[in-house]
Amino acid sequence: MTRLMRTDLTRRQFLTRVGGGTLVALTMPEILAACTGAGQTATSTASGSPGGPSAATLRIGWSSEPDTMNPLTSYSTEGVEVQQLIYDKLMDYDAQLKVIPGLAQSSEVSADGSEVTYHLRSGVKWHDGKPFSADDVVFTFSTIAAQASSQFAQWLAEMKDITAKGNDVVVTFSKPQAFDPALAIPILPKHIWQGMSNADVQKFANDTPVGTGPYTFGEWQRGQTVSVNRYEGYWGTPPGPASIVWVLFQNEDVMAQSMRAGEVDILTEVPPTIYDGLGGVAGLTQVSLPGFSFHHIGMNVSSAADSKGNPLLLDKSVRQALSYAVDRNQLVQIALAGHGKPGSVLLPPALGDYMLQIPVDQQINANPDKANQLLDAAGYTAPNAGGTRQTSNGTPLEFRLIAIESTTVDVRAAQLFRDAAAKVGIKLDLNTMDENTLGNVVYSTTDWDLFVWGWDSGVNDPDYLLGVPLTSQIGGNNDVYYSNKTYDNLYSQQASALEHTTRVDLTGQAQQLYYEDCAYIVMWYQDKLQAYRSDLWTGFADTPGGIVFNFTRANYTNARPV
Amino acid sequence: MRLPYLARKVLQLVVLLFAVVAFNFLLFRVLPGDPIRLYARSGRLTPDVVAQLRAVFGLDKPVWEQFLIYLKGLLHGDLGFSYTYRRPVAQIVGERLVNTFVLLTAATILVTALGIVLGVWAASRRGSKVDSSTVISSLVTWSMPTFWTGMLLLFAFGVWFHVLPTSGISTPLATYSSPLGKVADVGRHLILPTITLVLVDIGQFVLITRSSLVDVLTEDFITTAKAKGMSKRRIVWGHAVRNGMLPVVTATALYVGIVVGGAIQVETVFSWPGMGELTYEAVLRRDYPVLEACFLLFAVTVIVANFLSDLLYRVLDPRVKEA
Repeated sequence: MTRLMRTDLTRRQFLTRVGGGTLVALTMPEILAACTGAGQTATSTASGSPGGPSAATLRIGWSSEPDTMNPLTSYSTEGVEVQQLIYDKLMDYDAQLKVIPGLAQSSEVSADGSEVTYHLRSGVKWHDGKPFSADDVVFTFSTIAAQASSQFAQWLAEMKDITAKGNDVVVTFSKPQAFDPALAIPILPKHIWQGMSNADVQKFANDTPVGTGPYTFGEWQRGQTVSVNRYEGYWGTPPGPASIVWVLFQNEDVMAQSMRAGEVDILTEVPPTIYDGLGGVAGLTQVSLPGFSFHHIGMNVSSAADSKGNPLLLDKSVRQALSYAVDRNQLVQIALAGHGKPGSVLLPPALGDYMLQIPVDQQINANPDKANQLLDAAGYTAPNAGGTRQTSNGTPLEFRLIAIESTTVDVRAAQLFRDAAAKVGIKLDLNTMDENTLGNVVYSTTDWDLFVWGWDSGVNDPDYLLGVPLTSQIGGNNDVYYSNKTYDNLYSQQASALEHTTRVDLTGQAQQLYYEDCAYIVMWYQDKLQAYRSDLWTGFADTPGGIVFNFTRANYTNARPV
Repeated sequence: MRLPYLARKVLQLVVLLFAVVAFNFLLFRVLPGDPIRLYARSGRLTPDVVAQLRAVFGLDKPVWEQFLIYLKGLLHGDLGFSYTYRRPVAQIVGERLVNTFVLLTAATILVTALGIVLGVWAASRRGSKVDSSTVISSLVTWSMPTFWTGMLLLFAFGVWFHVLPTSGISTPLATYSSPLGKVADVGRHLILPTITLVLVDIGQFVLITRSSLVDVLTEDFITTAKAKGMSKRRIVWGHAVRNGMLPVVTATALYVGIVVGGAIQVETVFSWPGMGELTYEAVLRRDYPVLEACFLLFAVTVIVANFLSDLLYRVLDPRVKEA
C-alpha cells in the first residue's frame, strides 16, 4: 500500500491510502465473488492496427495527482510521468532500460573523461512549431546549474562549462561522470523560459508545457484527469496511443474495480491485498517486477558531541547483533505478504549487476545465536535469564524505535523487529507518527535511536542510493549521520569510473563496507505491483521497475490496442 | 431593537472569524516539519539555496510579520500562493469548491426536505406501524458508516449492474454536443454520491423532526385547533410544523457545517474532485496556504450557517426577539 515518490528528493517510501482500503477489506472478497464477470466495455475508440499509431486512448488509473507541470519544481512521481512524455532528454532508455539516443543522436567522451560532446538531431520542432536548437540545451543545463534547487541540479554539480558549437553541445566537467546527466534532464524551450528569475521559475506553474516529445499537453482537469495527445510532428517513431489519459482515484479498491468494469486500462500501483485479488480475472494481466527501492531500519550513529541518540548504537557489535536478530525472509513473508525480496545491501535488484550479492553464509541475518555471541563477547549481560542486557555499569540496551503509522508494512515490520530484538536481550520501545513528523525528527534533530523508512532511487544508476550515506550528505540525505572516509572515497571513485566492470567492483566494495557497518538494516526490496487490461492493450515489456512509473516512457509509446 | 441585535450578531461573527484566521495560521506553523525540506528538490542542497526558497515563499520573515502579510492578503481577497501547485490558492480552492457545492446542495436539499416530510408523516401517525418502521429504518441508515454504504452502492450499481459510473464528476475526455449533454453526464456521476449522503444522513432529520413534532402535537393549542374542527392536515402543516421546526433549523445549520468537511468520505469513495481530496493532499504535502484556505472555508461555512439559523429563528419564533 505504499506509494513510491520516485522523484522525491527525500525519495521516501511515501504514505499509504489506508483510509478506505482497510475498512472495506473484510467485505471485499464476498463482493468480488459476486462481481466476477462484470460487464466489460472495450475502449470505444480502439481501432488501430498493431504495429502502427492507433486511434485509441490509453487510460491509466492512479491514486495521486501531479503537483505542477514545471520540471524544475515538480517532485511528484505523477508530475514526472506526464512530463517525460512531453519533454525529451538528450539520451533516453528503451523498454529494457538500455540507453538509446534522444535529442542527441550520439555523444562522445574525451580521453580524460571530463568533456562530453552531444551531437544533436536536426530538424526537431517544439510543439509550438519553433525550431529546436543547441541553444535550448545550453539554456536548460545552465539554468538548472544556476538555480541549484531542482532535482536535476545534483547531476550538474560538477559542470564547469557548456557551449554550443553548431549542432553540437560540449559540456565540461571538473571530473569524469559515470552517470550521464543527459539521461535525467528534460530539455526546456529557451524561447518560453528565458528571462525568468529564480523566483519566477519557483512560482511558474507551467500550465501548458511545450516540449519536443512524442505527446503534446492536452488538458488537466484538477482533481480528475490529465491528458496528452500524440504530437504529429514528433522526430521519432510515432507512438501507439493517440491520447493518454490519467484518471485520479481517491480509493484503491474503487480503482481496481474500475479496471474490471473497463473504465481504465493500467493501474500504476496496486497494493498487495488488491493485487492478489486480481489473480485469475479474465482479460487482466498482473505485473510484478523488481523495484528500485528498499525499506530499512536506520540507526543513529551520529558521533557529534551534542548528539541525543543513544551512544550504545555507536558500538558496531550492538548494531550487528540487531541485524543478526531479525529474519528478513520473515519480514517479507509477513509484513509484505511475500511481494518482495529479503534485503541486504544498499542497491536494489532492479539495478542489475551493480547490486552486490552477499552469499547466504556471510549474511548478517536471521542468526540470533550469533547475535547473542556478539553481545556476550562485548560484555553486555542480562541480570536474569531472558531479561534486557546491560553494560558493565548497568545501562540497559534499550532503544527508541519510530515508524510511520500510515505505512502499515513498516509498522508490522517494526513490531517483528522489536520482538526479534527482545529475544536477544535488546529492548525496543516502538512509537508511530506521521511521515512529516518522523522526517523532522530524523533530519532536524539527533534525538532518536532507530527508525523504519525507505528509499527509492531517483535514477537508473547506483549513484543516487550510494550517495545517501556520504559524510557530505549529513544535513542532506544522510539520515543516520553515518561518516566513513573509506566509504566516501569509494563513492567518489565509482562516480568517476567510466569502465563498467571497474565501477561494479567499486560499488560492490562500498556496499560491502556499509553492509558490515550496519547503520542500515535493509529489510526488503519490494516488488512493483501493477496490472493492465491485456484483452485491450499489448506491447508492454517486463521493464525492471514497472511498465509505468519508471525511468522509461517506452511502454507508453509501444502500447498497441489488441 | 432590530438593529442592535443584528449588529451584535455581526460583531460576534467578525471576532469569531478573526480568531479562526489567527488560530489556523498558528496551528500549521507550530506543527513539526519544515515545508522547505519538502519543496527543495536537490540532492546537494546548500544553505544559500534553502534561504532563497524561504524568501520566495515568504518564510524567511518572523511569524508575526508573515501573519500580517497573510491578513493583508485576506482583506484583499488574496488567499496566498500554493507551495505544491505553484498557483494562487484562490484559483485552486475555487475549482474544488464548485464541485463540493454541487454535491452538497443536492444532498442537503434532499436530506432536509425528505427528512422533514418523513418525520412529519411519522409523527402524525404516532404509534402506528408506519411510525415505528420509519423510526427503525432511520436508526439503521443513520448508523451505517458512510464509507461502507458508498462502497456497497458503488459495487452494486457501478460494477455489478454496470448502470452508473463508479467515480469522478464526468466521463474522462468526453466531448459533448451541447451544454445539456455535460449537465446530464455530471448528473449521472452525481447520483451515487448523493444517494449515499442522503441514506446515511436522512435518519437524523427524520428523528429530530418526528420527536419535535410529537411534542408540539400534545400542546394545548393543538387540542384547541382540533376542538375548533380544523382538518388534520391543516393542524399538522399549518400549526404544528412551524412550531416544531426550530430544532430542525439548528440541525440543518450544523449539518451544512459538518457536511462541508464530512463529505470527505463520500468524495473519497467516488473520487469526487472536491474540497476533501484537496485538503487531504494539502495535509500530506504541508501546503500551508492551501490548508489555511480550506480550514478557513470550513469555519466560515459553519459560522455563517449558524448566523443564518439564528436569523431564521427570529422569523419562525417571534419569542426569540425578546431574548
